[in-house]
Amino acid sequence: MVKNITIFTTNTCGYCQMVKKYLGAKGMTYEEVNLDEHPHRQAEALQLSGALTVPVTVVTKHDESQEVIVGYNLARLAPAVA
Amino acid sequence: MSDATAIPQHEVIIIGAGPAALTAAIYTTREDIETLLFERGVVGGLAAVTDKIDNYPGFPDGVAGLTLADDLRKQAERFGAVIELGEVTAIHDEGALKRLETTSGDMHAKAVLIATGSDYKKIGAPGEAEYYARGVHYCATCDGAFYRDKRLVVIGGGNSAVQEAIFLTRFATHIDLLVRSTIKASEVLQQELQKFVDEGKVTVHLATTTDEIVGKEKFVTSVKATKDGVPTEFTVDGVFVFVGLEPNSQFLKPTPVRLDEIGFVITDQHLQTTMSGVFAVGDIRSGATMQIASAAGEGATGALKLREYLEGHLHPTQN
Repeated sequence: MVKNITIFTTNTCGYCQMVKKYLGAKGMTYEEVNLDEHPHRQAEALQLSGALTVPVTVVTKHDESQEVIVGYNLARLAPAVA
Repeated sequence: MSDATAIPQHEVIIIGAGPAALTAAIYTTREDIETLLFERGVVGGLAAVTDKIDNYPGFPDGVAGLTLADDLRKQAERFGAVIELGEVTAIHDEGALKRLETTSGDMHAKAVLIATGSDYKKIGAPGEAEYYARGVHYCATCDGAFYRDKRLVVIGGGNSAVQEAIFLTRFATHIDLLVRSTIKASEVLQQELQKFVDEGKVTVHLATTTDEIVGKEKFVTSVKATKDGVPTEFTVDGVFVFVGLEPNSQFLKPTPVRLDEIGFVITDQHLQTTMSGVFAVGDIRSGATMQIASAAGEGATGALKLREYLEGHLHPTQN
């Protein structure tokens, strides 16, 4: 079961819009961390994903386990939030 | 053969949701032709991940790619187009119906429009795949923000490379633009680029081929290249690659839909492929001009040809 979802995004990132659109269509809520507005949190996104890219979606389950999805990857995102 | 009664059936399925596909959907749905679109990536296609589009008519000050994509989507949805986020993996010709294998299960359509577009091509240099997303990137609007006050290399000399290099100047301290031959970008973009060259923010290296992307401790540190036949090395934090486009047609290779030697879909004068009832428009079509305005125009033409086909006025393809 999903406890919460955090998405790291930027203003101009089309793939970020797709992740938000997908979660919105599923009726799921999420926290968005916009790295253009909060550049100091880039290191956090990098530490979680190991990649210099957005979107980074962090799905935290009720057992506190986390799944980190880099990019707009439906094959991983869909089961992670199911 | 499949059990036709158990499979959902649609009038038209459009594969892709870029400008060609969305324009086609605007036309089909306005004709009251039920239309489902499948998009495996970004709605709006490559246009949606382009910073600014200056050559699409009707926008005197240019338009953000993301804005154009979103407006096209809204317009298509206003008339009833439905966009499914998923992938079509195969097409089978079952006569009057086409059966599509999709990530949402099999579906039937009376007619199909292929508008899967293209993706940015890789250069194939050592280190490119290894450092993907850790210094090697293909989307400036997604990843540029990670390079505030850093040095970058941009590879390519076409419209995309120059446009995205200009976009990246808002983050990077300096950009080396590596161009294999000469700059092919439009005159307007070249003039805009020249401003950043004059400021010392961009250095253009013509006749320069990229040999290797070098990294240390998981991230890119330099790019080895050959300039005018002389080996050289650029110390950088990241590399953005825009060296042309490759067709998203892998799923068509086992089908009777004929592709050209590069993998683009061959069509006749009606935009119909070698599978009757299956049409192709936009960047995926062999001979396409790879322009958003052309893609939109082809989308409109493709929709009108689909209608003719559905009404029985278009004969099976002869090509």
